[in-house]
Amino acid sequence: MHPNSSGDSRGARGRLRRLACVGAFLVAGCALLTPSAGATGSSPEARTVDQDVQALKKELVDLNRDLFRLEEELLYPASTQVAVFLSVNLGTFFALDSVQLKLDGKDVANYLYTEREVEALHRGGVQKLYLGNLKAGEHELVAVFTGKGPHDRDYRRGTTVRFEKAVGAKYVELRITDRESSLQPEFAVRQWE
Amino acid sequence: MSSPLVRRCWALLAGAWFALAGGPAFAVRDEPPDPDLPPPSKIRDLDYGDVLFHFFQDDYFEALVRLEVSHALGRMPDHAAEAELLAGGLYLSLGLHGEATRRFESVLAGPVPQSVSDRAHFYLARIGFQRGYLEEAARSLGRIRGPLPGSLEPERRLLAANVLMAQGRYGEAAQSLERWTDGSDWTYYARFNLGVALVRTGETARGRQLLESVGAMPVRTEEQRALRDRANLALGFALLQERQPDPAAAALARVRLDGPFTNRALLGLGWAEADAARPERALVPWLELRERPVLEAAVQESLLAVPYAYAQLAANGQAADQYRHAVSAFAAETARLDESIAAIRGGGFLEAVLAAATDPAAKPDDADQAGWLWQLKQAPDAPHTRYLYQLFASHAFQEGLRNYRDLGIMQRNLERRAGSIEAFHEMVAARESESARRAPRKAEMMAGTDLDSLEARRAGLEARVAELVGARDVTALATPEEATQWRKLEVLVARTAALPPGTQRDALAERVRLLRGTLAWRLDADYKLRLSRLRASLAETDAALAEARRRRALVEQAGDLAPRSTEGFAERVRGIERRVERLQPAIDAAAAAQERLLADIAVRELEAQKARLASYATQAQFALAALYDGASAGGAR
Repeated sequence: MHPNSSGDSRGARGRLRRLACVGAFLVAGCALLTPSAGATGSSPEARTVDQDVQALKKELVDLNRDLFRLEEELLYPASTQVAVFLSVNLGTFFALDSVQLKLDGKDVANYLYTEREVEALHRGGVQKLYLGNLKAGEHELVAVFTGKGPHDRDYRRGTTVRFEKAVGAKYVELRITDRESSLQPEFAVRQWE
Repeated sequence: MSSPLVRRCWALLAGAWFALAGGPAFAVRDEPPDPDLPPPSKIRDLDYGDVLFHFFQDDYFEALVRLEVSHALGRMPDHAAEAELLAGGLYLSLGLHGEATRRFESVLAGPVPQSVSDRAHFYLARIGFQRGYLEEAARSLGRIRGPLPGSLEPERRLLAANVLMAQGRYGEAAQSLERWTDGSDWTYYARFNLGVALVRTGETARGRQLLESVGAMPVRTEEQRALRDRANLALGFALLQERQPDPAAAALARVRLDGPFTNRALLGLGWAEADAARPERALVPWLELRERPVLEAAVQESLLAVPYAYAQLAANGQAADQYRHAVSAFAAETARLDESIAAIRGGGFLEAVLAAATDPAAKPDDADQAGWLWQLKQAPDAPHTRYLYQLFASHAFQEGLRNYRDLGIMQRNLERRAGSIEAFHEMVAARESESARRAPRKAEMMAGTDLDSLEARRAGLEARVAELVGARDVTALATPEEATQWRKLEVLVARTAALPPGTQRDALAERVRLLRGTLAWRLDADYKLRLSRLRASLAETDAALAEARRRRALVEQAGDLAPRSTEGFAERVRGIERRVERLQPAIDAAAAAQERLLADIAVRELEAQKARLASYATQAQFALAALYDGASAGGAR
């Protein structure tokens, strides 16, 4: 019913009152959107539970840290420890699918990569691909990389390194880089003591 | 009629009150921690790279554990400051504000590059804001000296604007936004927040202008669409408040028909049309809304708005039918609310919420990634939870729910750890057994190795060499055969000397002298070569002795360490076992407390919804009675 044509005064009054209500509501409605900082509204009980949970989480992090450390020290003591890492620097000429590792002729790791892991490597993450034990002396590591090379072709390349294991822990880094001159991937090895 | 109408208006508008309450009170974005990352080629400690490998996969708990191990073992000397900053960010991601603050402050305590200290100040400001410590947040923001890298800089600006707004300094917030023209998502969030704040404080023109800019922003992502919808919704209601129904309708019509704010926009659109004295057009959105599930406040209100519009159009018969329908729908909904309240009080409430909220497409390992990225993407539609839309949208409830979920993840983690402890016990036992097996062999070997005697012999040899070099005793370096020949010649010299003088003796003596001279000449000629060989041989003996000494020391050390270290391991395993046993019930107790807390909040919310429905039902019955009265009065006339 249109106010100008109906002549119904009750309807017009009703609308006016309703609109007054609209105004009152909007003040209240906007009050809900007033900026406020996150924790100011929580109850004391909620804060207590939150503090308990925080303390428990910290204890769990500490526990996992101690377990992780114990496991490593027990299973891979520094005197025999050898770790093989994998990193990617640029890596535009090679899309990594998998890596096989052989140590002294024995298969020790065969790793298939998810998209997420490859992305993490491209962003600067370094994967601890293998952790094991070796006696002091000379050893041979063979890594075989498979994936897609330039022009989306299947690509399989191996790299071999002979290294001397001394008394301390030995780190070997396999690094996939770009060889700009030939537009080919390069698989470099770096030894860390 | 006026009195029931006013009450009805209140009933309708009290529901619309919820129209803007559906989201967090403050538009914010949750971002993962952003460490001071070196470029990929600049990783100088492999263990830090290993932490980043897990961090970049959003596996924050694993990243943090590895970070703490490498930190404890001193394996990240070249990334110490960045690692501490990352630790702070990771603790923050787990909701550990206290520990995160401690870590950021620890970063600032040392000499660190400005890029690192700026980030630490930024995270401290973020924590301060989240905890409601606005002065501290403002102070930390003021200490940032340079622009932050990447998306942190616009986030810093948003945070600064939010802090100013939270302090009620809207003018300064507006000024800071005016200087900010990069067009990033963060700008739009800040404009939205400020626009709403300005409308509320009466600066409606400026507020509307900001909301309009967000409502017309270009969108590519779902997050941007949701923000644009929200801005148009807020703008529409702001314009309704100012009695500008047509621009209000235009703003509300820009809200998507299939988004999270659709229902509220449809309700507001109807009010805009009604305000413009077009009840027939108001019916269009309200009738659309009426067909939607009744669980949302906007839909509940449409059940009253539709008959109101019919009444405005003098279609009293249809209005009465719709009021009766509303009364019956409210009763049915109230019964379902009672059912839900009973279910929540019966326990298992949060498990049902989490089960309903789990993304079926998520990988199994995703389920155990506690962290701030975990959010309820949408309100679950489980029997326990179907009415709790507003609760899930609140930060406090989500935080509580996340705590509960994290506790479940922690409990599963502990169960796995408890399983591995048995294996650790076995490993330590195996090591002890192996050590015991080797002990006799080791003792035998040690007893049979007299390095001291070898050392004395080598020293004697060296003294002899020194002596012969001093005297240039070439015969000392003779071969055994030459030495025999030399001794025989010495005998011959003596015997010849004892012969009676004469030509025969002289001839013999001359021959012996020649032979002796020849041998002496050969020994003298080879002296240097022989001495050099002897010295080389002595050096080899030195090396062999040194190696023997080193190996013996290692064996001795291993003998000393083995029992002690094995005992150390055993004690460490026992200590961890005790911690697991203590933590498991503590986690259960915290989870139960968290569940009670959230269930109480949920029940209170459901009771409030029941009260609102009761109020709606009463209003509908009054309106129905008024319609009947009018009809009776008309009939009487």
